[in-house]
Amino acid sequence: MKIPLSWLRDYVDFDADANTLAERLTFAGIEVEGIELKGAVPENIIVGEITDVDQHIHANHLYVCLVNNGAEILRVVSAAGNCKAGDKVPLAGIGATLPNGMTVKAEKIRGELSQGVLCAEDELGLSDDHSGLMVLPPDTKIGRPLSEFIGPPDHVLSLEITPNRPDLLGLLGIAREVAALFGAKIKWPACDLLEEGESVQDAVAVAVEDSAACPRYTGRLLTDAKVGQSPFWLRRRLSLAGVKAINNIVDITNYCLLECGQPLHAFDLNLLAGKKIIVRRARDGEKITALDDVEYKLDPQMLVIADEFQPVAIAGVMGGARTGIQPGTTSILLESACFQPALIRKTSKTLGLTSESSYRFERGVDINQVDFASRRAGALMAQIACARPAKGVIDVFAGRPAERKIICRYSRASNLLGVNLPAGRIPAIFNSLELPVVAEDKDQCTVSAPTFRPDLETEADLIEEIARIYGLDKIPARDPLCHIVASADDKHIRDQLQCRQLLAALGLQEIVNYSFVSEKLLDMFDSAFPERRIKIPRPVSAEHTILRDSLLPQMAETLGRNRSRQIDEAAFFEISRVFAGTDAAPFHEETRTAVGLMGAAGRALLHKRQALTEAEVFSWLKGILYNFYEKIRKEEGWDDSRNNDAVKRLALDEFNGQIPAGFYAGCFKPNRSALISIDGAPCGVMGLLKDEIRREWRILEPVGLMEFILDPFLKNAFLAPSAKTLPVYPSVTRDIALRAPFSLRHADIIKIIRKNSPKELTSVVLFDIYFSKEIGAGFKSMAYSLTYQSPDRTLTDDEANRLNESVKKRLKDELKVEIREG
Amino acid sequence: MKAEDILALKNEAEQELKTAKNAEELEKARIKYLGRKGLLPEIMKGLKTLPPEERPDAGKYSNEFKSACEALFTSRLAELGTDNGAEQKDSFDPTLPGQWQTSGSVHPITAIIAEAVTIFSSLGFTIADGPDIETEYYNFDALNTPDDHPSRDTQDTFWLDDKMLLRTQTSPVQIRVMEKQKPPVRIIAPGRCYRRDTTDATHSANFQQIEGLYVDKNVSMADLKSDISYFARRMMGPNVKVRFRPHFFPFTEPSVEYDFSCHLCRGKGCRICKQSGWIEISGAGMVNPKVFQKVGYDPETTAGYAFGMGVERIAMIKFGIPDIRMLYDNDIRFLRQLAL
Repeated sequence: MKIPLSWLRDYVDFDADANTLAERLTFAGIEVEGIELKGAVPENIIVGEITDVDQHIHANHLYVCLVNNGAEILRVVSAAGNCKAGDKVPLAGIGATLPNGMTVKAEKIRGELSQGVLCAEDELGLSDDHSGLMVLPPDTKIGRPLSEFIGPPDHVLSLEITPNRPDLLGLLGIAREVAALFGAKIKWPACDLLEEGESVQDAVAVAVEDSAACPRYTGRLLTDAKVGQSPFWLRRRLSLAGVKAINNIVDITNYCLLECGQPLHAFDLNLLAGKKIIVRRARDGEKITALDDVEYKLDPQMLVIADEFQPVAIAGVMGGARTGIQPGTTSILLESACFQPALIRKTSKTLGLTSESSYRFERGVDINQVDFASRRAGALMAQIACARPAKGVIDVFAGRPAERKIICRYSRASNLLGVNLPAGRIPAIFNSLELPVVAEDKDQCTVSAPTFRPDLETEADLIEEIARIYGLDKIPARDPLCHIVASADDKHIRDQLQCRQLLAALGLQEIVNYSFVSEKLLDMFDSAFPERRIKIPRPVSAEHTILRDSLLPQMAETLGRNRSRQIDEAAFFEISRVFAGTDAAPFHEETRTAVGLMGAAGRALLHKRQALTEAEVFSWLKGILYNFYEKIRKEEGWDDSRNNDAVKRLALDEFNGQIPAGFYAGCFKPNRSALISIDGAPCGVMGLLKDEIRREWRILEPVGLMEFILDPFLKNAFLAPSAKTLPVYPSVTRDIALRAPFSLRHADIIKIIRKNSPKELTSVVLFDIYFSKEIGAGFKSMAYSLTYQSPDRTLTDDEANRLNESVKKRLKDELKVEIREG
Repeated sequence: MKAEDILALKNEAEQELKTAKNAEELEKARIKYLGRKGLLPEIMKGLKTLPPEERPDAGKYSNEFKSACEALFTSRLAELGTDNGAEQKDSFDPTLPGQWQTSGSVHPITAIIAEAVTIFSSLGFTIADGPDIETEYYNFDALNTPDDHPSRDTQDTFWLDDKMLLRTQTSPVQIRVMEKQKPPVRIIAPGRCYRRDTTDATHSANFQQIEGLYVDKNVSMADLKSDISYFARRMMGPNVKVRFRPHFFPFTEPSVEYDFSCHLCRGKGCRICKQSGWIEISGAGMVNPKVFQKVGYDPETTAGYAFGMGVERIAMIKFGIPDIRMLYDNDIRFLRQLAL
């Protein structure tokens, strides 16, 4: 809502400049979003009188005018068709700068000297009217600055009106608020009508078929109107308020809408078939072309204003083009009505059509002010358009709404606001806002909520009025009190936060991506489960069409984006929700963790340049996974973080063609991926990104990606570990190195080592793996360090050797591997 | 060779390595003792022939021989290699870059949420959450925002079907918690929200909020002001100012919006605060009795406050981030700058 201050001052006197007013309004809950100084007249524009007009000899569309500027007669060439001797017009003299940046100078135009520019309103930045020269009233003084006639520029406040306050969608409503804030009184505008001639009831018949949908409909008749351009003051006000001028009749309805907050509509009475107005529901198949020249299909839930045969307006939303004010209109039926807000809202939504009218009706107009606005518009039409108001008014009024009495207990107000208000202050606040206090005692008062305040329904609403006007700044802020609600349990959510800190401590940088993702990106990764995806109806952009069902695609995209900015390495994680639809749960969501590795992130500084191997990147992923797991859940008997194999409940397996639904395993390179399970239940995937996908982002080295559901990790997470007695007796370490074919995996070897292993074997750690000519093609050397320890005595070398020999024997017997000695 | 002989030979080798005058002499000594046909491999081979009781010691000494001499050779080689008139004889350089596993950090959004959790935890709040995909009931109806009222339009919603939507605010968590728990309730609920906003420097269709709710017998606007002001001082520093402006939200009555004084310009006016000196954080208010009725609380004997806060907003002013999109761009250089 745009409020020109000079206009507002018509209705209320207040001693404050624009900034002060803006601050007072803002702190009363009417937020001022901006203050603009508008409508300034450029300097060096004066009032000139055209004394003579001649056709330009070399150009048909140009005129040579003699213009009296008060001191001398100038020759000015103009293209305006309305140059007329005797008219007073704005003259931009030599040196004046117009709003479009043009500086006026003496020049020859097609051979004729021009010593200035005669201006139309748009050229002066006063309106968008370019129909011809701006013609000033005959009594305007020649030679005086134009600004004396126009007046000083005006401050225009942009207000954000909250949806509960339809009364503030008119200047009078704002004025009421200003009056309360400054202790002033509203000055109501004149609306006296000199009614004459025939009676409106004789000229037109109004029938309201649905009084619930239209509780009040008034019609007023104005005859002998002359449709034309509105006077400058009216157009200027509309322009400052951001409304386009059309013609005097339409401009007046718009002016009154801005003034009273009451939408009005003017029909050409002679175009209404049967001189009838019927307020009814639309019929199946009915259509109407509205004032915006668009044809709308109506349905029987919508309310229309119809003549004898067809709809002439979509009630409360927009008038029809056919029956609106035409250039030759003389008889006007002026509609001022009140419609049921929810109905107008629904119609407006169904049609996709909102207007200044529908905006106000769906918030609720003041049913008691319907006729006032009509009288006000009638008075202006009489004054400006020479219209003659007919006698009387048709007022189909279903009856005043029941009075709403609301009690405000002073104790309740004090308790809710946390401040004790001085005696008498509360009813005084209500009265200042024109909320009549109808009963009062020492503990409470009763307010009769006026019809212009539909938002006031309960005691809490009244307390808000007190807070607003009394001032929130007067409510004290003190040291806060701690209050523990002991029953609440939020461990699960805190654990999630803890997980983020953990992954950061492991060297990973957290990222946060949007929940929206493009279908293209998902498909690039894996199109295995498209039916699970939740699509966004009417997405905001093509990049954001799906609610992501995996964190991996954007993880890889983020790595790629960083690579495109010359970032060599990154180790990222994200913990966020993903969304998927299944028959059982059409809107399933779960929290997942994703990890992405690019470049030599896991390497020591001086080794960054060595080529990355796939094995290395994979091992980093696995290292992160196990470290993360270990920090969350300490497993019994597992005390060496190098020793992944001692972890029992977390497992990595090959896919075996079984990919759990909802995981983007198709993005991994074959044989470079694994399934993550906890307690036997698959909950994630990890692996190296397919070459063709990483090349999309020009990443040349292996990229590691991992994603898992967080919940299984958080089961029994972060439990207090229990201290155990440390071993008293020394341990003995023996190494075993073996030559194994590539097909024999570490896990196979560990299995044998641990199979029936003596209780003294406390740890097995792989410490070396290498390949050489000596070892032979297709073979590797793997070296393990085995630690033996007894809880109750010192193991002798012999015992340790015996134990170690038995392990070696098992390896030789069961795996047929060669044990490397010495 | 017996253990003592090995030790003697070791001393001899060390002496020769130490006194070598140039790289050539050093290499000669290395070949003599450590080379493939040198004295040490000879000893190693001979170990097998020793009586078993002597073997362990002899083995141990030979190993020590090997490692000590190898280390000595390496360091002497380095010294002699630089012996071109250079002053320093060994290669130790304390100015080389340090090496340790670099730690990562949480995202600035997480950092703000974690800090808010810490601050509100100190006031006795616990954390709650709810789904991103909400029902119309929790997101709107239960929050006194019926379909036929224009207050719905202030939040342009991503509808997924007739009844399901992406929550436009974290306020539905209020309802979910109150449905399960009788007063007192004292929670905060961080989470993602979604609005059909066009993305620009200060708007994001996907953003994060922290909801707060305190319900008990006697909760007042003064409590709300006190707690939010305390939060602001802890989060933004002791000099931050907070102001409250009346506003409208369907689920609170009275409702307010609250602003923090701009952290960057200390209230003088700058680009971040659009010259106003203030930055709008979010809305708050006293829980509307109609909301209490929806969850079966007695509005006569209960009172409560609720607030929301924009996480990105706070991050932007706290860290001086000019554009909200930088938070979702995930440029590692940007994130590292803000690592806490």
